[in-house]
Amino acid sequence: MNTQSMKSTVERNGALFAFLILFIGSALWKPGIFLQPESIRNILNQNASIGILALGMTLVIVAGGIDLSVGSLMALAGVLGVQWMNQALGTNASDPKGIWVAAASCIAIGGIAGLINGLLVTSGKIAPFIVTLAGLVGFRSMAQAFADGGEVRAVGSTFAALGQDGVTIPALPFWITTPLVIQWPVFIFFVMAAAVGFVLNRTPFGRYCIAVGANEQAAKYSAINTNRIKLWTYIIVGLCAGIASLCVSSRMNSVTSGQLGNNAELDAIAAVVIGGARMSGGYARITGTVFGVLMLGIITNILTASDVSVYWQGFVKGVIILLAVLIQRGRSD
Amino acid sequence: MLDVVGVRKEFGTVIALRGVSLQFRPGEVHGLIGENGAGKSTLMKLLSGLEQPTVGEVRLDGTAVNLKGVQSAIDRGIVMIHQELNLVDDLSVAENVFLGREPRKGLAIDYAKMRTECAGLLEKVNAKFGPDTSVRGLSIADKQLVEIAKAISYDAKYLIMDEPTAVLTGPEVRSLFALIRDLKSRNVSVVYISHLLPEILEISDRISVLRDGEFVGELDPKTSTPQILAESMVGRELGEVFPPLGARTSDEVVLEVTNLSTTPHHQPVSFQLRSGEILGMAGLIGAGRTEISEALAGFRKSTGKVKLAGEAIEKLSPSDRRKRGLVYVSEDRKGRGLHLTLAISENASLPTLADANRFRVNDTQVDSIANGWVEKLGIKTSNIHAPVKSLSGGNQQKVAIAKWLQCDPKVVIFDEPTRGVDVGAKREIYNLIVDLAKQGLAVILVSSELPEVIGLCHRVLVLRNGTCEAELAGDQLNEKTIMTSAAGLEKQA
Repeated sequence: MNTQSMKSTVERNGALFAFLILFIGSALWKPGIFLQPESIRNILNQNASIGILALGMTLVIVAGGIDLSVGSLMALAGVLGVQWMNQALGTNASDPKGIWVAAASCIAIGGIAGLINGLLVTSGKIAPFIVTLAGLVGFRSMAQAFADGGEVRAVGSTFAALGQDGVTIPALPFWITTPLVIQWPVFIFFVMAAAVGFVLNRTPFGRYCIAVGANEQAAKYSAINTNRIKLWTYIIVGLCAGIASLCVSSRMNSVTSGQLGNNAELDAIAAVVIGGARMSGGYARITGTVFGVLMLGIITNILTASDVSVYWQGFVKGVIILLAVLIQRGRSD
Repeated sequence: MLDVVGVRKEFGTVIALRGVSLQFRPGEVHGLIGENGAGKSTLMKLLSGLEQPTVGEVRLDGTAVNLKGVQSAIDRGIVMIHQELNLVDDLSVAENVFLGREPRKGLAIDYAKMRTECAGLLEKVNAKFGPDTSVRGLSIADKQLVEIAKAISYDAKYLIMDEPTAVLTGPEVRSLFALIRDLKSRNVSVVYISHLLPEILEISDRISVLRDGEFVGELDPKTSTPQILAESMVGRELGEVFPPLGARTSDEVVLEVTNLSTTPHHQPVSFQLRSGEILGMAGLIGAGRTEISEALAGFRKSTGKVKLAGEAIEKLSPSDRRKRGLVYVSEDRKGRGLHLTLAISENASLPTLADANRFRVNDTQVDSIANGWVEKLGIKTSNIHAPVKSLSGGNQQKVAIAKWLQCDPKVVIFDEPTRGVDVGAKREIYNLIVDLAKQGLAVILVSSELPEVIGLCHRVLVLRNGTCEAELAGDQLNEKTIMTSAAGLEKQA
């Protein structure tokens, strides 16, 4: 392999290389912490919801848009989802139908909010940054208003099973010494990643998203209904926000209206960017986004476990974002 | 005195100028004509400092000058006014005139001084608007005056004007000519480039003709006619370039347009298009050719009726019109026609991507579609997965055409299909268009190149101000009749 083709291989699979560098670096730096099965479990369990959000964000960004509202939307969907579930359950707190009420509510609220965002962007012709900035502020306010600024607790503990239970990996003679639980949201994330990856790469809709992001005029003049494509990307990221909200609130068995999803939109965007997507649209990879999510998770995990002050963690994340983008520069332009 | 001496310019293997010598004298309007690709714009780029000659030199008053960059040309009094005006719409007239060299008072801009100086300049060009007017609201003719005022402010001794009247109305042309004569009397040398032969005859003192990168002769406007100019420009029989048109074999009307209008200010357009027919649309820039084409394809709002094979389609989306067999190949290949960063295969299959299966892309089929067109249209590429921007202009255009032919159309609207395309690819595109017509497709050909319209079309509609000024066919079809209708001269005479 000559240097030229090696360079282009690195650039094309930049997110994978960046991930490997970070993974090996972390393993060498703190083998006692990072290579523990518990760390890996924690990274997966704690970042599944950001991952779900980042999948939808990838579609929005590849089609040339942006959605800043999804973090606040998670809070709004969570507050209403848990409140409506509690109402539906009444005194019968252990009824499993509660989960279905919460799930349907969260996902429906996410989808409707995404639809509204999308309509404002397409029919309203308002810049996506502005529409979703309004959502960022507005949805958070609604969430806090409905929760009286505080926390909404789920009655009983059936709801928590969704976010806390999962597949138990038994103890092995080596490495894994105690059984580990990989929670359901992790599986939801990976199944959705496969699905969104299929949509992006294997369906006309995905190709249209790329075409709209690469050159919206040319897409329009290729007889593609560009507004419908963009609208759907916002609906999908809204649905993702609803699902992510469901995962987090069930994991906590409660929703803190001022906290849930705070800065989640930024983490999701960061994951997409680390994954190698072009911010102006037209290029993104779902595998890249998945690696981006895992990288952000690893950074937080290892810094926390190494007793690095929480105040320095954002700085390190910022540096990693820039490095990941630098590694992948020159891929397409 | 500005001399171009033995100038040769090569772009890679393409030779744009093959040793051209010209002289531009003070107080003279020097007309410059030639077909697209003859080397006019390259020559002007050399004079305005945008390009440097490979061989030869430019001499100013006998001394060789090195014009590197627009600023160095401007410093020597050589200023070019481009066909597409370079003004910032959001700034005022004065701010545009002095953009980048605003008079200052300390750190701040001296607006008072800027206004006074600008007002003086505007007076010289007989402008009827003030220095504080916002450029956005000005007509194109007035914007041109701002450009000329800007040029005068540079103390221009040599003013190069590229197609200045292409977008002007009759009276606006009159007042521009008065201004040019005024500049001439003040000893300015004007280089005047235009395709509009009657105008160039009227305003020029001398006319130089370029053809295929060479200077082929100088003509005296007093003894020349548009016919003489056209012949010296073309210098060859049109028949050599254009394949023979087949006679139309069918009278079946494929497309019927009734009272189509894209803005309420325009008279509506009505016409019919038959199977196997190539219908030309000629007219000046801004005559409404592209607007009408886009309206037919559904990309632009319009009123009126459009019937495709007997079925009303005026309410349908572009995608539905495509499925029924009406497609539009845009004039703006890079902005609208193609996705430059996407692969050849992705571009070629984009409009038809969801036709076979709405939920699944068949990559094998996508590739075989692309390979088919690469072979059929002779697209020169080694890899159908390479981005379209890696192709030459002519091959890009073939991809832009292929993606629409893949839709199996009944009517194809080609908007400036040979713009920015080399001579070889041009002929291939001409052959393709004629072949399509022979296969029974109906073609609308929008083109600013008159020889193209004359050589390729059975019938030509001449548009002006968004409406059909004339319908020409057979013996009536020549440059003069098209130009007189396009400029609206019949009505003025």
